[in-house]
Amino acid sequence: MGVSYGAADLISQFLVGISRSMILFIVCAGLSFVLGVLRVPNIAHGSLYMIGAFATFSLSKVFAGSYGFWFALILAPLLVVLISLVAERALFCHLYQREHLMLLLFTFALSLIFGDLVKLVWGAEYRSVAAPDLLKGSVSMLGSSFPRYNLFLIFIGLGVATALWVFVNKTKIGKISRAAAVDREMVGMLGINVSWVFAAAFVIGCYLAGLGGALVAPTVSITLGMDHTLIIEAFLIVTIGGLGNMWGALVGSLIFGVTHSLGVLILPQFAIIFPYAAVVIVLLLRPKGLLKSVW
Amino acid sequence: MFKGIVYAKSFQLAVALFILLLLLPPFVPRFYVYILALIYVTSLLAMSLNLLVGHGGMFQFHHAVFYGVGAYTVALMLTKTRMPVWVGFLAGPIAAMFAGLVIGWFCVRLTRLYFGMLQISLGSLVWAIVFRWYRFTGGDDGIHGVPMPPLLSSLNRSYYFILIILALSLMLLYLILKSPFGSTLQAIRDNPDRCAAVGINVRRHQLLAIVVATFFAGIAGVLFVVLERSVFPDLLFWVLSLEIFIMCLLGGWFTFAGPVLGAAITVALRTFVGIYTEYWTLILGVILILLIFFLPEGVMGYLLEILKPRAKEAAGRRE
Amino acid sequence: MLHVEGVVKSFDDFKAVNGANLVVGRGEIVAVIGPNGAGKTTLFNLITGQLQRDQGKILFKGEDISALPPYEICHRGIARSFQIVNIFPRLTVFENVQVAVLSQQKRSHDLFSPAQSIAVEKTQSILESIGLAGKGKNIAGSLSHGDQKILEIAIALGNEPELLILDEPTAGMSPEETAATMELIQCLARTRGLTILFCEHDMEIVFSISQSIMVMHQGRTLIQEKPEAVRQNKEVQEAYLGGE
Repeated sequence: MGVSYGAADLISQFLVGISRSMILFIVCAGLSFVLGVLRVPNIAHGSLYMIGAFATFSLSKVFAGSYGFWFALILAPLLVVLISLVAERALFCHLYQREHLMLLLFTFALSLIFGDLVKLVWGAEYRSVAAPDLLKGSVSMLGSSFPRYNLFLIFIGLGVATALWVFVNKTKIGKISRAAAVDREMVGMLGINVSWVFAAAFVIGCYLAGLGGALVAPTVSITLGMDHTLIIEAFLIVTIGGLGNMWGALVGSLIFGVTHSLGVLILPQFAIIFPYAAVVIVLLLRPKGLLKSVW
Repeated sequence: MFKGIVYAKSFQLAVALFILLLLLPPFVPRFYVYILALIYVTSLLAMSLNLLVGHGGMFQFHHAVFYGVGAYTVALMLTKTRMPVWVGFLAGPIAAMFAGLVIGWFCVRLTRLYFGMLQISLGSLVWAIVFRWYRFTGGDDGIHGVPMPPLLSSLNRSYYFILIILALSLMLLYLILKSPFGSTLQAIRDNPDRCAAVGINVRRHQLLAIVVATFFAGIAGVLFVVLERSVFPDLLFWVLSLEIFIMCLLGGWFTFAGPVLGAAITVALRTFVGIYTEYWTLILGVILILLIFFLPEGVMGYLLEILKPRAKEAAGRRE
Repeated sequence: MLHVEGVVKSFDDFKAVNGANLVVGRGEIVAVIGPNGAGKTTLFNLITGQLQRDQGKILFKGEDISALPPYEICHRGIARSFQIVNIFPRLTVFENVQVAVLSQQKRSHDLFSPAQSIAVEKTQSILESIGLAGKGKNIAGSLSHGDQKILEIAIALGNEPELLILDEPTAGMSPEETAATMELIQCLARTRGLTILFCEHDMEIVFSISQSIMVMHQGRTLIQEKPEAVRQNKEVQEAYLGGE
């Protein structure tokens, strides 16, 4: 405290907040989507995010050179998809008829197993990934310098948002998923295999988790425990956004990311209090979230 | 009829077990005394959670927060103030109860899943504060070397104290479950809408249940400090909350003492598996999956299923 | 005793209830009839507070109960049974009724007295009066459908209501069970001085025991009259017989 910040600093932090929000949005959109269709908060979402980050680390080492990161960015989420598909087809799908609490506990079991698997494969050390050459360094914008990678994140975030909008509103699978979220019995009666719809939704959600992990890799130290921090934040965001609502995930992520970044200017050590406080305030005023829940 | 027989027998069994456990410490290595005491503390925590989950049908997803609040309160009072020990011991459950009241008040306005997720959110806030407020709570180092009165100076004495408090708490919990409050709570679990239609203020009742449950969680927190003489943020971490959930499921959450069994199995497994491998979490996850698929009524639920027809036979023979 | 005036309730664009009027006098037995989808259950839900009306008034003993939550309405003296069996499946039959009795005696919050010795007589007498006394220790979820429907009513009786609302009390019952249940209901009305409001599809029953019948169609009240007048009313005949 006692440091004065200029307008440029504020704007720059604000933009940093937005770019951080983009990663949160990508991950939370996945969580919200699964929550909307299956009505279960996927606790393993954080672990899949973590696997995405660690996999990006390994893959960018395998594909050394300036294109390494791009290969990793494409392949890491696919690896996560593979893992989640195996878990879903082998075990999860057999539980769709059971009560929701059982599904939730299953995802918790998965998160425990995946967490330890990461420890087994990658060990407990911190890892890091370098940003690709194309995205290193900063540009000067609006009076201060802004990392290129963060700009990239903003574009990717907008891209994912657009792709999701198209998917949910314009594609057949997307529309069926939305219908299944609201009334799964009806969808079943229309002759559609609800189990496949769930599988598709789950896989898409997990892809987004993996993608988020891959994108975050160059910006933070990749550690065990990433899954826990993420899943708490993701739950908070999804709750204030409105359960199952992907645009709610966007709004929630923006609130979370921006309050955190601006909070860093005020109380660097306790910056995390600001997004939490924002969450509490939102929930006091609108306990069911800002946007309508899907059901 | 047959219910009366089973419960009378269980009560006699429980008393016999209590006496056996009370006499145990001089005959058994220190390590086992410690593990048993840890099981007692965890049992109380799991029992307090089950009041809400198994008997109340509520999604209490972050119960560990109240345990941690109880533990930290007594640790802070005994290290930072000159209050007498017994005041500290009382302050723990009261603080936990207060936290339960505040967080519960927000949560009961919502149903099921929202209730659970809001609680995770608010509980995480408490955890984040404790984790980062280095000067007050010791941050992620926690607080160590909490002083205890001479009465509790040794491990064995702590063991006796913990066991006695556990027994008293279990008796209280039993009375509460068998009271009109308990019946109504279970009715709310079975059918909250019908309860509203028969004149029950469901929210108020659930809030009262939360206050009771968090009080006992706070007692468990105090007992933890008596045993370990330290506290750390992990006590409020949501992974612990879900672990206690698993204990209730493992033991059998529609039974009275199921959580005790679940806690005993989990702590024992965790300790002995921990000797051979550091991947206990992986094993816990596998156990949970096995439970979900094969034993959803829990171990005690399964045992009761087997015992019931036999007890009925015995009753039939008597008449 | 109960006055429903001009009540409207829509779900998004669908007007489930669109101008319902009902008068129930003390001590009467009143039936609400109408084809499926006429809005009868919705009307009941509005009266007992499960739903909030958009327009209109609901008065009970002179008090406006339109905005009260269900548990408050219960305390005012209205109890109800549900169309789809709505009991406490994991509790015993005795406990099912006892929950309502305890609520009535305002002892639900009692933490330290043993439940099994409280309100025993009251609960037993209710169970006896409906014929379930022998099954007190059975788990409610294991009863036959007919017994569960009777238990439905028993739970409502636990609240010592002045007005008892029964939503299709004999749905899914055999003819013998139906006759027995209706006799039971009439007997209870006499002995306990209950006012009864119910809805049914079985016209014989409706016309034989009601003192007043209200006919609903597409959310509206067509008429409310004595049974003979209803039987001869042209609009009613069209709505019911014309459509079927």
